[in-house]
Amino acid sequence: MSHIEHLDQIYRTSPRRVAKMMAIMLGICLVGGTIFFGMWDYWISGVSPASIARAGKVEITSPVVATGKEIPVSLNFIESSDFRTFAFNALPGEPDHNPTITAAVGDKIIFNVKNAGKSFHAFGVTQEDEGTGGIIPGSNIQSASNPIKPGQGGQSEFIPGKEGIYYYICTVPGHRAQGMQGQIIVGDVSAKTENTETEPITGSPMPAPELKKAPETIVKEKPEQTMKEEPKTNTPFTGTISISPGASTPGCDKTNECFIPSDVTIKVGETVTWSNNDSAAHTVTSGTPTDGSNGTFDSSLFMAGKTFSHTFDNTGEYTYFCMVHPWMTGKIQVN
Amino acid sequence: MSGHSNWSEWVYIGVVVAILVWVGAEAWNVERIIDHVPENAEVIKVTGQQWFWTFEHADGTIEKGELHVKKGIPYKFEVTSKDVIHSFNIPDYLVLMDAVPGRINTVWFVPVDAGQFPIQCREFCGLIHYNMRGTLYVEDGLDR
Amino acid sequence: MVLELQKPRPVWQIMFSTHHTDIGLLYIISSLTFLFMGGALALAIRVELFSPGTQFIADSMTFNRIFTVHGTNMIFLFILPFASGVGNYFVPIMVRYKDMAYPKLNAIAFWMIPPAAALIWLGFADFGWYGQPPYSMISSPSPAAEMWIFGLKILGVSSVLGAINFIVTILKCKHPDLPLSKVPLLAWSFLSSSLIVLVAIPTFAAALLMLLTDRLGVTGFFNPALGGDPIAYSHLFWFTFHPEVYVLVIPAIGMMYEIIPRFSRKPIFSHSSGMFAFILLSIVSFASWAHHMFATGMSFTEKTVFMVGTLAAVPASAMHVFNFLATMWGGRAKYSTPMMWAIGGIALFFSAGAGGVVNTAMPLDFITHDSYWVVGHFHLFVFGTIAFGSFGFLYYMFPYITGRMYNEKWGKVHFIITLIGAVLVFFTQHILGLYGMPRRVFDYPPFPAWIEMNQIAGVGAMLLGVGMTIFLVNMIYSSAKGKEANMEDPFGLGGKYYYPYQRKNPHHD
Repeated sequence: MSHIEHLDQIYRTSPRRVAKMMAIMLGICLVGGTIFFGMWDYWISGVSPASIARAGKVEITSPVVATGKEIPVSLNFIESSDFRTFAFNALPGEPDHNPTITAAVGDKIIFNVKNAGKSFHAFGVTQEDEGTGGIIPGSNIQSASNPIKPGQGGQSEFIPGKEGIYYYICTVPGHRAQGMQGQIIVGDVSAKTENTETEPITGSPMPAPELKKAPETIVKEKPEQTMKEEPKTNTPFTGTISISPGASTPGCDKTNECFIPSDVTIKVGETVTWSNNDSAAHTVTSGTPTDGSNGTFDSSLFMAGKTFSHTFDNTGEYTYFCMVHPWMTGKIQVN
Repeated sequence: MSGHSNWSEWVYIGVVVAILVWVGAEAWNVERIIDHVPENAEVIKVTGQQWFWTFEHADGTIEKGELHVKKGIPYKFEVTSKDVIHSFNIPDYLVLMDAVPGRINTVWFVPVDAGQFPIQCREFCGLIHYNMRGTLYVEDGLDR
Repeated sequence: MVLELQKPRPVWQIMFSTHHTDIGLLYIISSLTFLFMGGALALAIRVELFSPGTQFIADSMTFNRIFTVHGTNMIFLFILPFASGVGNYFVPIMVRYKDMAYPKLNAIAFWMIPPAAALIWLGFADFGWYGQPPYSMISSPSPAAEMWIFGLKILGVSSVLGAINFIVTILKCKHPDLPLSKVPLLAWSFLSSSLIVLVAIPTFAAALLMLLTDRLGVTGFFNPALGGDPIAYSHLFWFTFHPEVYVLVIPAIGMMYEIIPRFSRKPIFSHSSGMFAFILLSIVSFASWAHHMFATGMSFTEKTVFMVGTLAAVPASAMHVFNFLATMWGGRAKYSTPMMWAIGGIALFFSAGAGGVVNTAMPLDFITHDSYWVVGHFHLFVFGTIAFGSFGFLYYMFPYITGRMYNEKWGKVHFIITLIGAVLVFFTQHILGLYGMPRRVFDYPPFPAWIEMNQIAGVGAMLLGVGMTIFLVNMIYSSAKGKEANMEDPFGLGGKYYYPYQRKNPHHD
């Protein structure tokens, strides 16, 4: 009831028009919601180019003549019950732990991967020997931002274009360092002795969300880890020490992974061969970086892919280093 | 434009400004003292990465996820990151400093109580930011 | 007298209209829609954090996306458009001009919002509303991140166009008989916030472009591997967004300048103080941005400079509080719903500012930085001041715009529930922050103090949800079937105090 007769007509809206407005808005929300939820995985499926570029060099290998041989590999992501150790298929010390795959150039390795753990994971193959960069296109299954949830799985394939050592890893940051990596040996290259001294993440991490009772996980506790990392070899010494890829950059010495294995025990009369699996030239020189060469053996510079051998005729402890990259050190105990 | 001549407003503004000046001066003074790192502080290098902390003591010992220090000794943290920005935080000791890739930030403290204290990340860094935790162990002057 | 009411027109005519009242209402209605959508996200966050462990959000990626979109949406799709809507509707009336200076540009500025909103809501990025590199550059997935960047770029352009429109309208199109010093304070608030937008937003537009090219790997502005510095982004971002928070708050203060004198039945204590405080605030707001970055490793001198700059802005805000209190003092206040909201807003504004002074005291920032204290602090501003002022103004303008009265009882119930809820959530979060709980966390360890406070905050959030539902129903029902309002004096304030900006025939003025 308006008391203002002299005013222009006052127009008030009606319930019908208000309902129409609500219907339009609701309709827009429903359409938007359908698009969003219908394509739920798409919106976070990709990775920025900057993140690919930052993490190592992705080798674009030229198309390979496929040999026609297919190597199917089944891998399960698993975790130790305290979530400090991660691995493929079995925990360290158990059979089939992080199985090494051998292949020839041109073979097609088909990965069939399943998340048998409680945390989230993702998969990829890289040539980098640490970190989650340099994932070879086609080998990846999902990503850290769009990970494989427990119970889920996926497939990918990898055709190596050249000889060398590749690694299949979990590409979620930190998981490789916690043990989720294995080797793919392509061609006639010595296997790197697997460093099972995975850095345990101490402290008290909370278990991953969706904590259910563990159905089948291997519960064996990892043996006590010392603070200083000393890699223990758990495969017997085959006579070859590998100069690891990337040893020409400082950092491998922190984990004693410049020469793998870096500590070796042999018998008198045995021969040790060093294989240069890095891209840079190295030396293997007896002595220490601070005191220099002591003359017992010296390979002088040998190139990538080459080897150097020395036969130890006397007992004793022999330390050696690389003259070009003095952070690289190793030791041979001759009994 | 600014022709206010009411005395009550001037008094009020005067009081507000006085309080702010006092807060500013006190803050300046305290920060000046805190900003000065003691000469004999032991250096610990802190590296944050997705999603855990790594500590390197002055003698080269490396700890991951946990940090052992001795009571009563000043420690200086040199904090950096390997990937994204994190923030190194020991809330019980008010230690807080961003871990920025490409630079090293410094913060120091003296642990005065023995015991265990949480370490956490205080800058959003992704999926496990909420669980990027660790433990500080302060020991009673025992040799490590 | 009525303000502006158009006879019922077909929907498409409203959509294509360039008249300031239509565009104003489009802004207001769409911003309120986003308020409720963002509010639903907030409830999801509070429920998830009610206890340690997973409640109902499956993983941390989803949680991270929820808080990112909640923040982005509330600032860019609720507060800013709502203010633009109020400004569009009322500024031409207040300066006694027939429309905004550039009506078609005005429409374009509004219609940029739906596509930008679609980009933001569909992508649902995960890096927090700051978009801080290196995370947003190397760790955040595509295409969500790029969609967020493009959405915000479009919104930035929309803001700048709106700002230009306001400045020209107020300064150049005002009635020749109306001196600038007599322009109402609500219009002044739009003038000062538009001036800030004009200077501050282009910096963020640059930062967004740099972030995009960095993400694509083309440049390395913020990438340490390519010689860049992530802290450069922080500087660019906060150089925009510290002044921007004043852009958010100043229109709400302007709205309170409409409500408080009217409902106190007394003129504003000092119009010139209000003008001075707005202009001072717009200038000094540029002097404090790096107080958000105290923990990034700034030197003592740098931190001191920005602490002083932050403290310098406080007296201007204090002048507004004084103006409001001095206006109410000695007046004959009627505590209708709009007045209650305005008074509640002033009280929470004061608390927010007090908390801010704590933050800017350099050593204290190292206790509060990136903890729940900050969450409580800024929510007291954006919700306690801006939303309270906005709701009050909505209730106030409701009869003039719709010709009907809202339900006064339910309006008061909305206020009481929301005030209690806001105190429960945001004051508790201050204390939670002092206990060390970080921001942006999907879950937390089962410390008893943290659990208790999160639960109190959860209850508060539920109350806010209830209040907002009451509000929604009140608004919709009353606009359709509310009692017809007495257009001369809808609030029964008495003869002399009706809305002064009357227009006999808006199209022929």
